[in-house]
Amino acid sequence: MTRVFVPLLVVLTALLHLSAGGAEPGDLLAVADGRPATLDERILWELGLPRLVTAALAGAALGVAGHLLQTSLRNQLAAPELTAVNPGAVLGVLAATTFGLVSPDSALGGLGAALLGGVLGGAVTWLLSAGGGPGRAVIAGLLGSALMGGLVTLLLAYQPGRFGNVLRWLVGSVEGRVWDHLVIAVWWIPLWLCVAWAATAVTTILQGGDQHAASLGLAPRRARLAVLGIAVALIACAASLAGAIAFVGLVVPHAARRLTGGPGGHVPAAALLGAVALVGADASAQVLTRLIAGTELGHRLGLPAGVITALAGAAVLVAIVYREKNP
Amino acid sequence: MTSSLVRGHGRAVPPLHLVLPAAALVLLVLSGLCLGTPVIAPQRIPAVLSDHASLEYVVLWELRLPRLLLGLLGGAAVAVAGLLLQEALRNPLAVPELLGVSSGAAVAVAACVVWALPVSPALHPLVGLAGAAAGGALTLAAARAARTAGGVLLIGSAVTAAVQSLLFAIMATADRLQYDLLFRYLVGSLNGILWDQVSRTLPWFALAVPLVLLTLPALGLLRLGDEAATSLGVGVGTARTGVLAVAALLVGAVTGPCGPIAWVGFVAPLLARRVRPDGDARTWMLWTAVLGAVITTAADQVARLALAPVETPLGAWTVLVGVLAGAALLRGGAR
Repeated sequence: MTRVFVPLLVVLTALLHLSAGGAEPGDLLAVADGRPATLDERILWELGLPRLVTAALAGAALGVAGHLLQTSLRNQLAAPELTAVNPGAVLGVLAATTFGLVSPDSALGGLGAALLGGVLGGAVTWLLSAGGGPGRAVIAGLLGSALMGGLVTLLLAYQPGRFGNVLRWLVGSVEGRVWDHLVIAVWWIPLWLCVAWAATAVTTILQGGDQHAASLGLAPRRARLAVLGIAVALIACAASLAGAIAFVGLVVPHAARRLTGGPGGHVPAAALLGAVALVGADASAQVLTRLIAGTELGHRLGLPAGVITALAGAAVLVAIVYREKNP
Repeated sequence: MTSSLVRGHGRAVPPLHLVLPAAALVLLVLSGLCLGTPVIAPQRIPAVLSDHASLEYVVLWELRLPRLLLGLLGGAAVAVAGLLLQEALRNPLAVPELLGVSSGAAVAVAACVVWALPVSPALHPLVGLAGAAAGGALTLAAARAARTAGGVLLIGSAVTAAVQSLLFAIMATADRLQYDLLFRYLVGSLNGILWDQVSRTLPWFALAVPLVLLTLPALGLLRLGDEAATSLGVGVGTARTGVLAVAALLVGAVTGPCGPIAWVGFVAPLLARRVRPDGDARTWMLWTAVLGAVITTAADQVARLALAPVETPLGAWTVLVGVLAGAALLRGGAR
């Protein structure tokens, strides 16, 4: 049932996303050969499709990274944005572009800066939470994220004129990405998704507890570090594409684990559902932007996808907590 | 204060923990007035203030003095709001930043300013109050579902993140010329505070002081726990709502002119409890106000001078202080 339903959902959301961007079914068939002819086809090929691919890749990466964090740390509340990895990656990208170390449009430079920043943010949280329980890890993650946010505002003050360009990273948006931005992400994210899937056995053992892992001959600390490394690689690439997308990494893994039976299906389900969540959020952001486009406000405002995920994610999270209290 | 002096030391020399904050306040006031461009020597302040024609008079009277005043008052107000929240909810991590109170206020005021809504600036504290109350009420209503302190915090941060993203969406519609304003609503800043803003905010602080004093007895009772307070005949729900409303008023009044001054409401009460571990709500309130003012003005000196001539946002520095204090709290809890 789930095996048919989830891939179907992916295709449906993708079509919805493209039509929300204004594409006609005829254009879609016409660009299938990779040679756009008319203006509409060129818009679809050079803006619509890259935007869809960006949203799908970033969503899949965040969903799987959240799943890896939650299982290897044995903390239901671990998520890219609550462990300071995602804010750190955003800080890395912004620092590198502010100081002119990498060009804002360089895919490789952006990914490298995001990786460095993500490792920094994760390390801060790791140090703050060392030796504590899950409750402490949550607080440490919040503090680490606050620290990254403070550093980002200091960077903004350094060049206030760039605030408009920076906003998209702060709130998370997949708008305005073209194929040039995606040259690395199209193989980087699928590669690490496969690694994460291959590591399912390790994460499943880690989830059973450190003693359980040790008795099975797996060094728990080393294994956890490796799994966290995969998560950081995924989060950094997602952040270098789309900025600080909130809540996809927190909520999607819960849904994925609930939908699939055995642990073997968790990673693919998290990847597909993450893609669906972010593509769907961006489709509704496009529709809402078009709805307010007629008003006086609308011509200055493009609603970013990050706003939709944050609003929807907060509602879903409250619902999850409520459901767990009143089954 | 006097009684503690006599009891604690039995001699007329004031103890160190009273001298230090007083000295820090004097130093900060002097540096707030004197440092910067141009530097004005402390002994020349009276002379400069009497010479209305000079450039130094304008800098001192029109720029530095209002900024210093609002830094002191605003810092104290945010710190006291943090203490009220923590005491009313009996959770040391119940701070304005994690309860959606600060960001609610920031969104409401930012919407007024950015979209130039027809609201008089004098009423911005009221708008901020409404936003703070709405953000806090939303969080608390949602947090009722959570069982643990961690759950409450998580829901608080979720609501905060959602509200924050609304703030970003509002900012995305802003003009390039307004960006300076926007820092203010992200983390708080005292840049460009003039007598205008101070005179609009002062009445609200004046209103808040008696209200804060009124909450003191309620705080003492709420600390006993819900059952004990109920058995003493106190309406716990009403008392708690009243205290939270006063906290929202304080945050709202500060957010209008300077934005949510980040994390001062967390650090100042924390330090106040460290300084006077045996104190009651009254002593903590006083210490919290003083420490809030000290921390905020100190951070503002750094914000003004650290990367001069570039002005950095005050809140970015208070965040650093807040994270350090939080890390210390975590370490202390582990021991």
